Amino acid sequence: MTPGSRGLLGVVFVLPGLLVLIVALLGPLALIAGISLMTYSPTKIWLPVFTGANYARLADAYYLGVTWTTVKIGLVTTGVCAVLGWPVAYFLARVRSRWLGLYMFLLVTPLMVSSVIRIFGWLVILGRQGLVNATLRGLGLGTVELLGHAPAVVVGLVELLLPFMVLPLMAAIERVPESLEEAARNLGATSWQVFRRVLLPLSVPGLVSGSLLVYSVAISALVTPALMGGRKVRMLGNLVYDEVLTSMNWPFASSLAVVLLCITGAVMVGYLRTMQRLTARGGMA
Amino acid sequence: MTRGPALGLIVAAVYLFLLAPLVIVVIVSFDPTDAFRIPPSGLSLRWYRAFFASDTFVRAFFRVSLVVALLVSALATLVGGLAAVGLVRYAFRGRTLVEAAFLAPIVVPEILLGAALFLFWSYLRIKWTATLAGLALGHLLIALPYVVRTITAGLHGIEPALEEAAMSLGASRAQAFRKVTLPLIASSVLSGAVFAFIISFSDINIALFVAGADTVTLPVHIFSQIAWQADPTIAAASTLQILAIGVLLGAVQRAFRLRVAM
Repeated sequence: MTPGSRGLLGVVFVLPGLLVLIVALLGPLALIAGISLMTYSPTKIWLPVFTGANYARLADAYYLGVTWTTVKIGLVTTGVCAVLGWPVAYFLARVRSRWLGLYMFLLVTPLMVSSVIRIFGWLVILGRQGLVNATLRGLGLGTVELLGHAPAVVVGLVELLLPFMVLPLMAAIERVPESLEEAARNLGATSWQVFRRVLLPLSVPGLVSGSLLVYSVAISALVTPALMGGRKVRMLGNLVYDEVLTSMNWPFASSLAVVLLCITGAVMVGYLRTMQRLTARGGMA
Repeated sequence: MTRGPALGLIVAAVYLFLLAPLVIVVIVSFDPTDAFRIPPSGLSLRWYRAFFASDTFVRAFFRVSLVVALLVSALATLVGGLAAVGLVRYAFRGRTLVEAAFLAPIVVPEILLGAALFLFWSYLRIKWTATLAGLALGHLLIALPYVVRTITAGLHGIEPALEEAAMSLGASRAQAFRKVTLPLIASSVLSGAVFAFIISFSDINIALFVAGADTVTLPVHIFSQIAWQADPTIAAASTLQILAIGVLLGAVQRAFRLRVAM
């Protein structure tokens, strides 16, 4: 067989997959990019008349507010995930136990279960008739609104996304030799100093890739704010959903989608880059 | 950093937080009342009977979610496996670009994939929301990156020289692949298939947009039930999903020491 025909065979092999990407990804994304520049019509949904009005509308105080809420919830979620995820990642990177497989299984399995089920669990725990409020009432402390505000959405998102922070952090910490920690301690560093001066700086690559991943998924959340945020908390994902399926203003929905896509796309490309560097460095060590 | 009891306590607390919603859902599904109480006031299968008595729940679980997940698992393994072979075993122009393209669906938020697919089909006037094909194609798209990556990694791990040796002993290229390479990458193919199944089975973000009235998946049905009437039938349905996924993962992990492609 000549090299040329072998190369051609490779193209044949990847062709079905490429076809899926074209039909289900490239086509639809090109379409929404196009529609986002068209004029909305209440009767025909959209008219083929070129306009920038859909993007201009995003500068509205209301939509800027929703964007700000989205960014804020994304940042807080990422921060909380980093704080909670670091000790877990350190533990998993350093533990020498035959239970490690179980620990990993328990960390990753929740990722496999539908997010709507995990949020349902939070509604049972935090709802007005939920476990926490039942306990509070039992103690004569009255009812507390634990749902329907931004902190509730953060609780839901942190629980959903925490493993995405732990896994890259764990990869980064595993690359720090334990002898480095011992050396610092032998030279008189306290546990806090070892963490602050040695471990934390060396875990930054993991922290960066975990943060980018968590942030990009958090700002495109839809189900979590819809179920845990009540009517008050609206994120960009909720707007996209309403504009596509309820208001049927597809040009505006498309412009929202394009903006969200640009933000998350940039963040995800950053994630893939840092992750690549993280694994490449591990290969050399 | 101390590795003493303080760290252990923090880690245990975070695990508790991570697993609490799943554990709670499982517990309340066995409560005979609809009070969502912990500890439950008894042990009963009342809500499981309610689940199997509900046409919409049974349909969403067995006739939509399960069927689509099996379909996606088979298709993604086939399409993704072929792509992996093409990417690893052959050199062609634009190979790195194609490899990057297979990661693209990960970069796009799932809700936007769902919204874009819905608008695309509406634009082309394809009534795919009324059939399982629309769901299957959407899920195939998000499953492909994981399958391609898992099988690519498996192929990188074996020597092409083995296949060449088989061929020099008289096997055809197809025979060498089937008899030598395929058994060696069986575990990564199986991991890919299981991942694809789970991605489809637990997806809500795409289904929320592309599932029609007759093709409501289990997660979408749970979503709308929560908004309407949150009774523990939802917990029973959820527990059945957790059980299905847990059994599948446990079996695969035991058999092949599955490495999570994360």
